[in-house]
Amino acid sequence: MKTLDIDQIQKILIHRYPFLLVDRVIDLEPGKKGTGIKNVTINEGFFQGHFPEEPIMPGVLIIEAMAQVAAIVVGSEFRGKEAKPEERMGYLAAVKEIKFKRPVRPGDRLEISVEIIQKLANLFKVRGEARVDREICAQGELVFTKGTT
Amino acid sequence: MAEELENKIKELIVKRLKLEIKPEEIDSSAPLFGTGLGLDSIDALELVVGLEQEFGIRVKDEEVGKEIFASVNTLAGYVKKKQEEER
Repeated sequence: MKTLDIDQIQKILIHRYPFLLVDRVIDLEPGKKGTGIKNVTINEGFFQGHFPEEPIMPGVLIIEAMAQVAAIVVGSEFRGKEAKPEERMGYLAAVKEIKFKRPVRPGDRLEISVEIIQKLANLFKVRGEARVDREICAQGELVFTKGTT
Repeated sequence: MAEELENKIKELIVKRLKLEIKPEEIDSSAPLFGTGLGLDSIDALELVVGLEQEFGIRVKDEEVGKEIFASVNTLAGYVKKKQEEER
């Protein structure tokens, strides 16, 4: 199983501050599955307004983190070929039946596991699960496209 | 037999894609995409997952041409061919 540090992640993803939501990748099987780690701190910009009295990570950002881990799983297959930025682009195409079961708060270590369950041309269907301390925070399915549409 | 398979495919389409119509309302020869049933590429992906789960058929990228997914008829023909190949 492969792991990726933040430098390697940034060679695959084109996301940058404040929108890079994966700090490390563990258990990576390129093209198949992987787990991303996102360490959530009180210094995250979104906690300023979401919410001042009760900091909770927005659910849409957990979905975004899942999408980024999925992009790494797919993108890591092509690593070494020095893909051009436009070839590294991906677009979210569908978000399906996502459940949020537990809020994510400062101090949480979010473990986002994704598995590619089907590929069709440049469309990928992905099953994702986000956990903190082995407890599921969010789960569901995403579809994204790779490359320019 | 052919009709039975077509009905199964219609059920698969309605169930998988959560369409708000009855399976029997789908015309077997009408186009699935665009003008007919109005499906899109994300629906196609979902159908490929469904075909694998329900019929044990692995659809390869290059096979997903317009012809196979043209209508319920053509899809049934493809499923039948695949099932015979795997026997």
